[in-house]
Amino acid sequence: MEKMSRVTTALGGSVLTGRTMHCHLDAPANAISVCRDAAQVVVAGRSIFKIYAIEEEQFVEKLNLRVGRKPSLNLSCADVVWHQMDENLLATAATNGVVVTWNLGRPSRNKQDQLFTEHKRTVNKVCFHPTEAHVLLSGSQDGFMKCFDLRRKDSVSTFSGQSESVRDVQFSIRDYFTFASTFENGNVQLWDIRRPDRCERMFTAHNGPVFCCDWHPEDRGWLATGGRDKMVKVWDMTTHRAKEMHCVQTIASVARVKWRPECRHHLATCSMMVDHNIYVWDVRRPFVPAAMFEEHRDVTTGIAWRHPHDPSFLLSGSKDSSLCQHLFRDASQPVERANPEGLCYGLFGDLAFAAKESLVAAESGRKPYTGDRRHPIFFKRKLDPAEPFAGLASSALSVFETEPGGGAMRWFVDTAERYALAGRPLAELCDHNAKVARELGRNQVAQTWTMLRTIYCSPGLLPTANLSHSMGKGGSCGLQLMNSFNLKDMAPGLGSETRLDRSKGDARSDTVLLDSSATLITNEDNEETEGSDVPADYLLGDVEGEDDELYLLDPEHTHPEEPECVLLQEAFPLRHEIVDTPPGPEHLQDKADSPHVSGSEADVASLAPVDSSFSLLSVSHALYDSRLPPDFFSVLVRDMLHFYAEQGDVQMAVSVLIVLGERVRKDIDEQTQEHWYTSYIDLLQRFRLWNVSNEVVKLSTSRAVSCLNQASTTLHVNCSHCKRPMSSRGWVCDRCHRCASMCAVCHHVVKGLFVWCQGCSHGGHLQHIMKWLEGSSHCPAGCGHLCEYS
Amino acid sequence: MREAVLTWCVPLELLCSHPLPVSAFLKTQVKLYTYRACAGKDEMGKMVSVINTVDTSHEDMIHDAQMDYYGTRLATCSSDRSVKIFDVRNGGQILIADLRGHEGPVWQVAWAHPMYGNILASCSYDRKVIIWREENGTWEKSHEHAGHDSSVNSVCWAPHDYGLILACGSSDGAISLLTYTGEGQWEVKKINNAHTIGCNAVSWAPAVVPGSLVDQPSGQKPNYIKKFASGGCDNLIKLWKEEEDGQWKEEQKLEAHSDWVRDVAWAPSIGLPTSTIASCSQDGRVFIWTCDDASGNTWSPKLLHKFNDVVWHVSWSITANILAVSGGDNKVTLWKESVDGQWVCISDVNKGQGSMSASVTEGQQNEQ
Repeated sequence: MEKMSRVTTALGGSVLTGRTMHCHLDAPANAISVCRDAAQVVVAGRSIFKIYAIEEEQFVEKLNLRVGRKPSLNLSCADVVWHQMDENLLATAATNGVVVTWNLGRPSRNKQDQLFTEHKRTVNKVCFHPTEAHVLLSGSQDGFMKCFDLRRKDSVSTFSGQSESVRDVQFSIRDYFTFASTFENGNVQLWDIRRPDRCERMFTAHNGPVFCCDWHPEDRGWLATGGRDKMVKVWDMTTHRAKEMHCVQTIASVARVKWRPECRHHLATCSMMVDHNIYVWDVRRPFVPAAMFEEHRDVTTGIAWRHPHDPSFLLSGSKDSSLCQHLFRDASQPVERANPEGLCYGLFGDLAFAAKESLVAAESGRKPYTGDRRHPIFFKRKLDPAEPFAGLASSALSVFETEPGGGAMRWFVDTAERYALAGRPLAELCDHNAKVARELGRNQVAQTWTMLRTIYCSPGLLPTANLSHSMGKGGSCGLQLMNSFNLKDMAPGLGSETRLDRSKGDARSDTVLLDSSATLITNEDNEETEGSDVPADYLLGDVEGEDDELYLLDPEHTHPEEPECVLLQEAFPLRHEIVDTPPGPEHLQDKADSPHVSGSEADVASLAPVDSSFSLLSVSHALYDSRLPPDFFSVLVRDMLHFYAEQGDVQMAVSVLIVLGERVRKDIDEQTQEHWYTSYIDLLQRFRLWNVSNEVVKLSTSRAVSCLNQASTTLHVNCSHCKRPMSSRGWVCDRCHRCASMCAVCHHVVKGLFVWCQGCSHGGHLQHIMKWLEGSSHCPAGCGHLCEYS
Repeated sequence: MREAVLTWCVPLELLCSHPLPVSAFLKTQVKLYTYRACAGKDEMGKMVSVINTVDTSHEDMIHDAQMDYYGTRLATCSSDRSVKIFDVRNGGQILIADLRGHEGPVWQVAWAHPMYGNILASCSYDRKVIIWREENGTWEKSHEHAGHDSSVNSVCWAPHDYGLILACGSSDGAISLLTYTGEGQWEVKKINNAHTIGCNAVSWAPAVVPGSLVDQPSGQKPNYIKKFASGGCDNLIKLWKEEEDGQWKEEQKLEAHSDWVRDVAWAPSIGLPTSTIASCSQDGRVFIWTCDDASGNTWSPKLLHKFNDVVWHVSWSITANILAVSGGDNKVTLWKESVDGQWVCISDVNKGQGSMSASVTEGQQNEQ
C-alpha cells in the first residue's frame, strides 16, 4: 500500500477522487455494477446484496437490499446490473431462474420491484437497454434469452439460441435494436430485438464456452469476447462477416471482459479460475498485459470501470469476499518489468543490441527522466494522437561489427595463427612476432617484441661507442635512465649494455619498420655468405645500418683478436658452440634441431657472427663474466606481462611466456601462469583455433595445462587373434581367451611393457628382447627377420 | 610501458528505428551495423555503415539477444512468446529456428557451452524455463522447468567445467539451479527468498579453482568453487557460493544501488587477477565491483557512471576489458578501464554532452 496514489478526475459535472482501497464483504461476490453517478456500487452474490458508497478513502455500506426474515433463493444473485439512466433501477439475475428488478426509490425497506419467473434455470446475465429505460434483457442457462418491458408483468419476447446455455447478453451501443449473446458451445449470436424468430448472424468465436462479451464504447462495431480457451477476441461486427481484429492470449479462461473507457485498445479481463488477477490488455499487444491488479486472493468475479469516461478507476468484486477499487496508476505493469533491451557481446567483439523501437521513436521529444516513466507507453497515444503506433512494442535488433567482414577480435585470430612460439631461435621468434604484430597494426605489441628481443638476445654485440652515440642523440629520459642503470650495475657487460641502448633507440625511433625489413634482407644475405642459419642473423640486420659505429667502436676496445675475426667467423663451429653454452632451456621446445640464442648467455652472444671485421667471440668472452643483464629486466618484463593480461590481452602474456620460457617463468607465480594459459586456451578454443590451442598446451610449462593434452585420450587395443577389442585387461582377450602378447623369448605373457619389432611384429619383454638381440640379430620368434633394436 | 597508447578497434552501437506504417503490423527489425571506432591517444574516429537489415518477424518487443559460444548464431526472444535463432555468420542472417512453447513473454535466453551440444535455455513470464536442444538439425523442447511461482526473469548457464547447470532467477524471489544428471533428468535446487520482491539477473563466476591446479593429480576433476551473482528488486547484489554439502549459501551482499538491480555481469576471467562484477540498476547507476583478495570477501564498488535513465544491461567483452552498457535511452556505451584505474567511455561520440554515444536520432536520419 505504500505506493498508493490519489487520483482526481474531473468529468463534466462530477469529480472522481479516490485511491486504491478495498473493503471486506460478508460473503463472496458474484457480480458488481456501478451506479451512473460513479459514487455507488452494488455488490451481489449468493448471500450478499448491498450497495456501497464509494468515498474518497473508503467504501461505506449504504444499503442492504437483502431484507426479509427468510432468505429467498430469489436473492441468490448470479448477476446484477444498475440502470445507466435511472439511478434507482437495478436488476438481478437469480440462480433459481428469477429476474428481479429493484427500485431504490421505494419508501419501504424492501426495494424489490418486479419478479419475472420465466427462466427454468439459472439466469447468467441481465442487461438494461442503454437508452431505453424500460427494456431489460436476460440470458439463462436454459438456452433462452428474454426481453422484458418493465412496464409489463411478463416478457415481451423470447429468443431461442437453439443451443445450450446463454452466458452473456449485451445490447449494442451502436445499434438500437441489436444485441449480442454468447453461448457455451462457442458461438456468438447477433439478434434484432424485433425479430425473436431467428438470429441475424451467428459465428463461432471460441473453442469452448464464450463466457463474456463487451461492445466497444467508442468503436461501436467492435465486440470483445472471452472464452474458456483463454483467449479474448475482438471482432469487427460492422463488416458483412464478423472479422477477428485482435486476439489476446491470457493465462486462464476469461470470465469477464470490459473495455477500458477512453482507451481505445484497452480492455480489462478477469478469469474464472486459477488466476486471481485482473489484467488490462492493450489488444494490439496481445502477449503482455499492460497492467495487472493483484489485490484479490481468490477468483475475481466482477469487474466494472467506475465511470464510463474515466480510465483510472476499476472496481472489482471477488470470491475472497472483498470489494476493491483499483487505480490504474497503482497497477503493476509487467511491461515495465520487462527488459526493453537485449545486449550481448559477441565473440568477435560484435555487439548485438535489441531495443524497443517505440522508445526510439519517443526519444526525440522526450524530456529527461522524471521518474514518471512507469506509465508508459500506453498513454502515449493519447498524448500524441499523431503518432499512430507509439507505445507499441517492437524492437530493433542491431548487430554491430567492427570491420566489414571481420570483427574486433580478428586481430586475435590472426595473431594466434601467425605467431611463432617455438622451434626457432628466440631472436627470430621475437622478430617474427613483432612483424606479425606490426602488420596487424598493433604497434605497441610489436615494439614489446622488439624490446624483448633486445633484452634477451642482445649478446653484447655492439660496442660502447654505440651507447654514447645513442645517448648523444638525446634519448628519452627513460632511455637515459636505462643507460645509467646499465652503466652503473653492469659495467662488465659492456657489450650487452650497448646493445640494449641501441634497442632503446629502436623503440623510441620510427626506424622499427626499417629495422625489421633490414633484418629480413640480411637474413638471406647472411645465409648465403655463411651457410649457416644460426640466430645471429637478426643481429646482422641490426648492425647493418650502423656499421660505421661498429668500426668506430672497435678501436676503442682494441680487441687483440680483431684481425683474425674473419677467419674465426668462417671456421666457427656454430652448432657445437651452442651445445656448449649453458642452454636457456626452453621447456618442451625441441632444442635438438633448432639452435637458439638464449640471449642471457654470454657465450651465445659470441656466436653471432658479424660481417664486420672483428670477432665477437673473443669480445664477449672478455666481457661476460658476470651474470646476465636480462635479470634486471625480469621485473619489468613481469610487470609488462601483467599489464597485458590486465588489458585483456592474455594472448600476449602467454606468447611471451612461451617464447621467453625459463627466462621469465621464475618471476611469475605458477598460479598466474596457469591462469593465463587456461584463459588463453579457452579463448583459442572459442575461436576454434584448435591447432594453436594444442600448440600452446604442448608448449606450456605448467603441468596442469600440459596434462590437458593427456586427458581423455583413449587407446583401444584389439586382440591380435580375433581382432576384437580387448576390454578388461590389455593382455588377455575376453573373447578368444588367448593371451594377446607372448614374449618370443620366454614364451610367457607380457603384462607390462611389451616391445616388438615393427618389421615382423614379434616381441616380448623388454629385458628379454634386449638380451636376445645382443647375441643375435635375428628375430627370437624364428621368423627369420633381422630385427633391430634402437 | 604503461603510458603507451593502445590502438583499439571497438564496436559501437548505432540505433535504428523505422516509423511503422499503421497498416503494417509490428515488425521487428534486425540491423547489422558496422562501426569502427579507433580510440587513439588524441583522435577518435568513427565510421558507420549498415551491413544488412533483416526482419526478425518478432511480433513484439525483443527482450534479449544472445550470441552463442562461437559467435555464429544469435538467439532472440520476445514478448510474442517465441524464441528465434538466426545464423549470423559472415554478416548473413538466416532464421534457423522459431521456438514456440512459452505461454508468455520470453525474457531471456542463454546458450550452453557447445561441449554439451546445441542447447538453449529460455525463461518466461509464464513461470517456466524451457531448455531447447538441437538434434539432427531440428530444435526441440528438451526439458521444461515449472518450479517458480512467478515470472522467471533470468537464466544463466554455469561455466562448462561444472557440468550442465542452469541458474534461474524469478520474480517470486527464488533462484533455482537445474543440474543435468544425465538421461534427460534434471535435478533442482532452489534458493528460496534470495531476493525479496524478485530476482532480476543471475550471472556465474568464471570457473576458478582454489589454490593451484598444479597439485591436482592429473585426470582428477579439480575441486571448483561454484559461485554466482544475482541482482534483485531489493536493490542488492548477492553472491552465492556452493558449500561442500552442495547447498547454496549467501556469501556476500553488495549494497550500493538505490533501486532495482537490473543486470549483473561477472567478468570473464581472462588473465585478470581480480574478480570483477558489473551491475546496473533502475537508478541509472553502473557499478564495477572488484575483489582482490583470495578469500573473495572484500568487494569494493566503483561507480562507472550515473546515467539519466534506467540501465538495463551490462555485458563484458570476451576479454573482459570492455564493458558495454545499454540504458533506457536506447543507447549503448562502451567503457574501458584506463591505466590509472578510471573507467572511461570509449565510444563517446558527443564528448561534450556527457556519456552518450552515437545518438538515436542520428541513426534514424541515416536510415531515412
